[in-house]
Amino acid sequence: MALVLAASPLDFDLIGLTVALIVFAVFFILSAKLVWPKITKGLDERFEKIRHEIESAEAASRKAIAAQAEFEKRLQDAREQSARMIEESREAAKKIGADLVAKNEAELSDMKTRAMADLESAKESAVRELNDHAISLATVMASKILRREVGATDQQRLVSESLAELGKGSKN
Amino acid sequence: MTFDMHTAWAIPTFSNLADFVPSMLASGANPLGHVLDKESALGDYLGFKVKLSAVSIVVAAILTFAALYIASRRIDTGSANEGAARYLTRGRISQLIEVMVQGIRDGALEPLLGKATTAYFLPFFLSLFFFILSLNLIGLIPLGDAQELSAAMTGSEDAKKLGNMVFFGGTATASISVTAGLAIVSFFAMMFQASRELGVKGFLEHMCGGKELLYGPKGLLLVVPIIFIVEVLGLFIKPSALAIRLFANMLAGHTLLATIFMFTAMAGEAGGWWLAGPISIVSALFAVAISFLELFVAFLQAFVFMFLTAVFIGMMSHHADHGEHDDHAHEDAHGAGVGAPTHAH
Repeated sequence: MALVLAASPLDFDLIGLTVALIVFAVFFILSAKLVWPKITKGLDERFEKIRHEIESAEAASRKAIAAQAEFEKRLQDAREQSARMIEESREAAKKIGADLVAKNEAELSDMKTRAMADLESAKESAVRELNDHAISLATVMASKILRREVGATDQQRLVSESLAELGKGSKN
Repeated sequence: MTFDMHTAWAIPTFSNLADFVPSMLASGANPLGHVLDKESALGDYLGFKVKLSAVSIVVAAILTFAALYIASRRIDTGSANEGAARYLTRGRISQLIEVMVQGIRDGALEPLLGKATTAYFLPFFLSLFFFILSLNLIGLIPLGDAQELSAAMTGSEDAKKLGNMVFFGGTATASISVTAGLAIVSFFAMMFQASRELGVKGFLEHMCGGKELLYGPKGLLLVVPIIFIVEVLGLFIKPSALAIRLFANMLAGHTLLATIFMFTAMAGEAGGWWLAGPISIVSALFAVAISFLELFVAFLQAFVFMFLTAVFIGMMSHHADHGEHDDHAHEDAHGAGVGAPTHAH
């Protein structure tokens, strides 16, 4: 198996050089047309996709943070508002309660005053009526005494009649 | 060699291997014999001489293009009805290629050249990187040795008649002819960028040291011829340096591997198999370690070649004439322009 060796590493071979030039030229042209555009397109689209996804994720994260802040703010506002409303309703209830008590007390006082007045009026009326009956009875008695002499039996009868008259007057 | 040629698949005997291994692994006593470019068996069929490196380039280019094409379909985003799954890249090799492409574009080229120039030259840089990488990686696979061993084991009549059954293999980038071809590509890319960005007048001004020198104090005109000569030399030295760096690195690594394997053959000749056995184990361990290093070097050198080409292309711009500046600030000022590094000569 005799192989023909080049005499020196620096021996120049024009065919080798020409083949290298031509083959590389063909390789370059074919690759530039069929290979590299697809690869660079794939790389660029992948890069854009990743960039877009990262940007979307960052935007979503920013949105989520903003939404969380907004939510927390609203929650805080709601807590404050509800506390305020509770306080206001408590104050209102207190006020209403106090008003009701005051009103009731006033009404009670009025009723009491009115009842006292009515009572006083009824008492005066009763006393006046009693006086009127007493006067009329005395008058009756006096007139009867003046018409005849009164015996013990008459006296008893007159007293009984006067008392009966008095009782009748009281009933009227 | 004394292989059994009576059967189609002859199992190599111990003595066959003793003959074969030194030849296959280290081409006898000369490690360069294993590394240097050889004539391909394809030349016997074609009727003219073709080197292994030339055939390897074609094979590597086809395989790489196929792999990249499949990967590109997997990296590309699918139709909208696939939903979020359309953004997934399926397949480990496709993912690896995607990561490399993104790393080269976003991590290396854009900070150097700016978005606009990177986008314009990206197909070229990626093609250059993956082309060189495939040549480097194919060189790590002992395809030539496998073909030689296969031919020896099958013992085909063609093998006996032609004498050489190796069609392709070896490290194409360990050939100065191949790296020179790639350097010429880089040179033309630099010139293309110069004409695109600077124009003829701008390019000549650039070659004379820039506007500051030409239209500055008259005394500085004295140094313009010197700068012009240095710049012209630099135009050719830069791609030459690229070619020599890649060639020397790949050749050196494989020479080191061949030398390590050669120890087994040398030990076998000196003390027989009882000495060759232990040494072969040690050699194999070292070879594995060096192979990992070579794997790293394959990626590194492909990147260095591509990156330095980008640096040289970046120099061919208006911005490069401005001297040292903050690239990013410059890019901001000019939109997505070229922000080349320090003007290095």
